[in-house]
Amino acid sequence: MAGQLGERTVSHAYQAVGWNRQKRVYDLTLLAGVVGYLALFVGVGAMLSPRATVETLIIRAFGTAALLLLHVVLSIGPLARLDRRFLPLLYNRRHLGVALFVLGLVHGGFSILQFHALGVVNPLLSVLTSNGSWSELAGLPFQPLGLAALAILFLMAATSHDFWLANLTPPVWKGLHMLVYVAYGLLVLHVGLGVLQAETHALLAGLLALGFAWIVAIHLIAGRRERAADRELQGAVAEDGFVEACRVGDIAEKRARIVCLSGERIAIFRYDGKISAVSNVCQHQNGPLGEGRIIDGCITCPWHGFQYDPADGASPPPFTESVPTFRVRLDGDRVLVHPHPQRPGTRVDPAALQEES
Amino acid sequence: MAGGDEFYIGYQRQAPAGLSRFQRWTVAALLLAAAVVAVALAALQSDFDPGVFEFGVVRDFAGVVHERPHPLLLVDRPGHNLPEPSRFLLVAAGKHGADGEVAGLDGRRVRLRGTLIHRQGQTMVEVVAGSVEPTGDATARPAAGAVDLGVQTLRGEIVDSKCYLGVMKPGRGKPHRACATLCIRGGIPPVLRVETGSGEYRHFLLTDEAGGVINHRLLDLIAVPVEIAGRVLRTGDLLVLEIDPTTIRRLDAAAGSS
Ligand code: FES
Repeated sequence: MAGQLGERTVSHAYQAVGWNRQKRVYDLTLLAGVVGYLALFVGVGAMLSPRATVETLIIRAFGTAALLLLHVVLSIGPLARLDRRFLPLLYNRRHLGVALFVLGLVHGGFSILQFHALGVVNPLLSVLTSNGSWSELAGLPFQPLGLAALAILFLMAATSHDFWLANLTPPVWKGLHMLVYVAYGLLVLHVGLGVLQAETHALLAGLLALGFAWIVAIHLIAGRRERAADRELQGAVAEDGFVEACRVGDIAEKRARIVCLSGERIAIFRYDGKISAVSNVCQHQNGPLGEGRIIDGCITCPWHGFQYDPADGASPPPFTESVPTFRVRLDGDRVLVHPHPQRPGTRVDPAALQEES
Repeated sequence: MAGGDEFYIGYQRQAPAGLSRFQRWTVAALLLAAAVVAVALAALQSDFDPGVFEFGVVRDFAGVVHERPHPLLLVDRPGHNLPEPSRFLLVAAGKHGADGEVAGLDGRRVRLRGTLIHRQGQTMVEVVAGSVEPTGDATARPAAGAVDLGVQTLRGEIVDSKCYLGVMKPGRGKPHRACATLCIRGGIPPVLRVETGSGEYRHFLLTDEAGGVINHRLLDLIAVPVEIAGRVLRTGDLLVLEIDPTTIRRLDAAAGSS
């Protein structure tokens, strides 16, 4: 978790963060949701099929709960990009990830106990070797796929702490956590090649397909929006290389406007009669700084609240993160930005607005 | 970017009112959706097979042991007025046959303790390890010979009799294939399940043409639709299908590749 200094400043520092009320509410809601789901599934299943075995109901309840939760986890990112009111869900998304892993672990553990233990072969070896053949589609082994997905979820859950984010470096960490999409693909196959080969109600396959279509669709839509925002700014280029980015009036006080110059997203902030520009990419998890706002004089990332001084892009001490800055100047009410980034943490004089607003 | 002007960072104690409201609705919608999915998925499961595993209940049994092809206990059932004793398949705990439990006791009257597994007239006992005790030398009554029902061609699915008769549900089909394969590898009697129409099933214990064990020659053919031709024998209430495993034909897409 991000640390806190005083009331507000947040950056990498791994002291325990107080479990504030929001976080407790978040986790309690999550717990209630998961327990409620499991109870409903097992309860309704046992009621409708008195002959059902409880192991099967448990395996299925945990497996389906995990898959459902994975859809939620994968939806939050694109939804938050489409409507920032979803952002608070993003803040503790890693808790969802850990819950997801635990659900998957119970599902997998129970399945291995039931289907692979007490035999003549080592259970794990059995998972990998004893179901089906690789030479035909419907016969493809599905259990190794589930195991691989569980391994990915484990890696992600185990490295979800910011300690690992800092020590693996953000690009590596980000790459590792992009594997969640691989896990999702594996699980769709795991279900399609596994239980759906026996449970043939069309609605079951339909629900899986619907979930898949939803995930693909919101990612495409959010991606399209982002690409539109990324369209290279076509502003007039001044002789000194500065590019016209926007008008002062385009930027709300304590907010930013994001522009794309030389392939980079730049956040131009307006605050206290000044204009500053920094890279739009938060050092924590690439959150969009330009969608944040100035709080207590600092640019505050909308995702997890890391903070940066707008003039030099550096987190207030004792934190050490910093983002590249950009030179800005004003021409009347036109804001011009130089597309060449300054090294992270380089102080750039803010452009001062003439008439105070 | 939609979303109004309110701004909230996760570590703040309290989100702005508008955001809070939005969050509450989102979360309520999510929980409702989860409940609907839970009920729908639970309800859409296909009906569970019949079959009972009296897990945790240990009973006493007495009868005559047959070691081959798979361990059997021939049990007199006085109340049933049957011409022949019933044949209970014997298995050990987990995914293991009971061969070790009854070794050397072929034809002897024994007492044993175990847990019942039964499904529609087929009965099996999971023998408590070490509980088999001979109680006499000779069989009380020599078992009648097998009745030859001729060569038949049957279509069905090879299952492991233990899970299928009630230990697991489903105890057949692809999700259970790994387990069935492991069981049959471990010596659980393999059985061909054949639909006889209108939801009725018959079950045939599979042996080779000399009445010997063929578990290890079936491992690639479990839990897939197959067609098998072989001689059907009836001994008491047990049907045995004597086959040449190399002639088993797969009926699914992989028919050519096996
Ligand atoms: S604070 Fe996490 S991405 Fe910016």
